[in-house]
Amino acid sequence: MFSLADLWMWFAEPENWLGRYGLLNLLGEHLAISLSSILLASLLALPLGILIGHLGKGEALVVGLSSISRAIPTMGLLFALVMLLGIVNRELAVTLALAAIAVPPILAGAYSGISTIERSTKVAAIAQGMRPIQLIWHVELPLAASSIIGGLRIAFIQVVSTVVLAPLVGLGGLGFAIIQGLALRDFAQVTAGAIAIVLLTLFGNLVLGMLQQKTRLSTLRQIRAR
Amino acid sequence: MEWFLKNIDFVLGLTTTHLWVSLIPLVLGSLLAVVLAKFIPRKLVASTNGLLSAVYAVPSLALFVTLPVLIGTSYLGPTNVIIALTIYVIASMFFSARDAFSQVPESANFIARAQGLNRWQHFIHVELPLAIPGLVAGFRVAAASTVSMASIGAVVGVRNLGYLFLDGFQRKIAEEVTAGLLAIFVIAIALDLLIWLIGRALTPWARKRAVSV
Repeated sequence: MFSLADLWMWFAEPENWLGRYGLLNLLGEHLAISLSSILLASLLALPLGILIGHLGKGEALVVGLSSISRAIPTMGLLFALVMLLGIVNRELAVTLALAAIAVPPILAGAYSGISTIERSTKVAAIAQGMRPIQLIWHVELPLAASSIIGGLRIAFIQVVSTVVLAPLVGLGGLGFAIIQGLALRDFAQVTAGAIAIVLLTLFGNLVLGMLQQKTRLSTLRQIRAR
Repeated sequence: MEWFLKNIDFVLGLTTTHLWVSLIPLVLGSLLAVVLAKFIPRKLVASTNGLLSAVYAVPSLALFVTLPVLIGTSYLGPTNVIIALTIYVIASMFFSARDAFSQVPESANFIARAQGLNRWQHFIHVELPLAIPGLVAGFRVAAASTVSMASIGAVVGVRNLGYLFLDGFQRKIAEEVTAGLLAIFVIAIALDLLIWLIGRALTPWARKRAVSV
């Protein structure tokens, strides 16, 4: 074990903040890997989820994908893809594995946000002469915004959690402090890494949660104002 | 296939550990979540919601290595993993349990009170049976996530199926990693099916209604 003084010393050492394996560098890597794979997943899953919700066809795909994906261990997916594409392509492999993890929740969020809109709302929009594109842009997307962000929030949680394991396949990120610390039995470093990771996920979760709440309230306010 | 057949005893041993490390948190966490969801004072609901949804966002490896600091357990070994997974099960089942109980029709509660059932009888004979479909749905989600998340325990020295990922990667045996993926997938699907069947057996009235309509 270690004492609080050890932990304090770890945080007081500039190298642990600014060095190659300092927290700032690791945080940057962590965010870069996470955000690029969430972006990649969104490019695929958002249009698809919106389309499925809009057409009301293909619900089985969304439900099936999310229940099958839950049974696949994210850690195994990460390792398998890196082995498949080769260790030299590990960045691509990890991004693809994380994108695959992010697709089901983003897809489900977009789909359920749009498919749960009341039929009468859509009928009214169509009766006003809206084209399908206008219906999606002016009615369905604003009403589904909160659920879409909810899906992104779950994707963020799962992706950021899985990136913690990236050092095991030769990449960086905040998990490095934990995994190296465990190997060196430097438990002050392990704890420092865990604290950084917890703060990052809680912050992201809080911001996305607030955004989710805000979009829900603003939609309600718009409806009431009319 | 060759690797798997040669190492079948090894994989079975890891599977046994994997099952223990997943099933103990599932059963313990679900019971605690149901009790918490049912008997929590109304004043504490909002703060519990916030706390559990924050806990749910904490990456599992970070929680595994934080527990030794908080409760003084050893860094390696299954204790932290079992406790951490129990916490995740509570966080996930608390919300489904509250949903499940809130979907019990008010008329059923009213009739139960009118028949003079006391609080305990009301819970056992009316609320719990009517909440089973919601509880089962939540339990299926928790079961699949727990079985999959348990593999990360291998990083802190739990010899479960996750060990196949670490070992297979280091020794460049692709089949070992694939075997781990498949074994966990099969366990998750089998557990899901089992829970679904138990849920069906516990709610015979739901089936009868479906047949007669």
